[in-house]
Amino acid sequence: MIRVEGVHKSYAGTHAVAGVSFTIQPGEIVGFLGPNGAGKSTLLRMLSTYLEPDAGRIEIAGIDTVRDPLGARARLGYLPEHNPLFEGMRVRECLEFLAHMRGLNREEREQRLGLAAEQLGLAAVLQKRVRECSKGYRQRIGLAGALLGDPAVLLLDEPTHGLDPLQVLALREFLHGISPGRAILFSSHILAEVAAISSRVLLLHQGRLLLDEPTATLEQRARAEGINLEQHIVRVIERAGGSTRLG
Amino acid sequence: MAEHKRLPFVQTAWAVCAREWNAAFDSALAWLTIALAVLALNATALNEFFLAGRLELRALFETLPMVLVVLAPALGMRLWSEDLRQRTAELWLTLPVRTGAIVLGKYLALLGLYTLVLVGTLPLVILLCQLGDPPLLAIARGYLGALALGAALLAIAGFFSTLHAEALSAFVSAAFTAFVLLALGDARVMAILDGLLPGSGLGSLLGERVALLGAYQELVYAPSFDWISTLLPVLRLLLVTLLFLWGAQRGAARNRA
Repeated sequence: MIRVEGVHKSYAGTHAVAGVSFTIQPGEIVGFLGPNGAGKSTLLRMLSTYLEPDAGRIEIAGIDTVRDPLGARARLGYLPEHNPLFEGMRVRECLEFLAHMRGLNREEREQRLGLAAEQLGLAAVLQKRVRECSKGYRQRIGLAGALLGDPAVLLLDEPTHGLDPLQVLALREFLHGISPGRAILFSSHILAEVAAISSRVLLLHQGRLLLDEPTATLEQRARAEGINLEQHIVRVIERAGGSTRLG
Repeated sequence: MAEHKRLPFVQTAWAVCAREWNAAFDSALAWLTIALAVLALNATALNEFFLAGRLELRALFETLPMVLVVLAPALGMRLWSEDLRQRTAELWLTLPVRTGAIVLGKYLALLGLYTLVLVGTLPLVILLCQLGDPPLLAIARGYLGALALGAALLAIAGFFSTLHAEALSAFVSAAFTAFVLLALGDARVMAILDGLLPGSGLGSLLGERVALLGAYQELVYAPSFDWISTLLPVLRLLLVTLLFLWGAQRGAARNRA
């Protein structure tokens, strides 16, 4: 469903992403972990087709993102890092517009919008303007927008940012509910979230993929070493020559 | 998973246009800009009616290019700068639609706003008709010229808005370019440029080939009507419009690089 092969991206001579490869199958929820500046957002932007890789190849549902970006976009839902939305529109209008842009007819739009409103609890804000909605609702609106096309691939950049613990819990359950048949990749810099939501962890540090393992295996390894998961991740980063100290 | 349909290019552009049209009136800025432009144009023409005692719209069409130097960038900076600033460019450019359709839809909404300004001057034509027997064909040509010149300057402003996230930078770049492209067609500027490089005919060349003012004046001040002299300047302005719209599409897509 998602295939990434030797992808590179540089900004002004600095490697933001350096030779990253991985594959995500349908039904998998994969957590993308890494400190700020690790290259998570750059990689997600390349997967979403917003950025083009300098080298390497990305496939979304078997479609090359550089050769056929529109085909890839039609098969993916994307929640960008800062969750940009059309602030002045009413929530219903905004979601209807996004659904229309995905080629859905009036009937399909109504159906998907009703479903999204029900699944994500948006009924109370449908008539409100987006700019009047709270952070939690905005995240849900962004998520609803990403799901309107019933995508095979879902990319979520920091989806829990600004959510309270109850909302994080609800998001976790929601993602598990929609995961069958879908490849979901979400980024976070909070290990506990990644461990709780995902079945597999990708650890990115300074643009390189340091680790790609099932969450359960990671937890077993940490237990075998007599340390917790967080300490284990820190060791992986330090072994790769990275610093986890402030400053 | 759902089957994947694509919205056709024209339908995409039309949907984007409708969204942008509604979004423009979400703030008071669009109302204020349009109202000020209508006021300035009507005041100039009425001044000519009552002070000079002439029943014509010449003053309106003479003033319009200078009004457009400010109006087109003020409207055109909406095309993409705001999306860059609010990061909605990332939302637009990850939708399964062509960037060209997005740019065209946004541009058509801007052109609609400008058309509102021109509509706001139509009471002058009604007034002329009530006071006498104005040359309606010449007035129609004037409005055609106004629409074609506005379309070109809006495309230029739209192009600059894809290059600057700061609306002010987009405004200044577009206003400067619009001013230069208009001023090159002014007889005094042409004479100065010709004088700077005697024998080169630089001023005349730029005035005839590059300046937008010449094409506009050919339409507005033509002594009589014929299809060739009407269509040629329109095509010239249309070519500039298409060129800068293509540039705007490239500029918007460049954000992905």
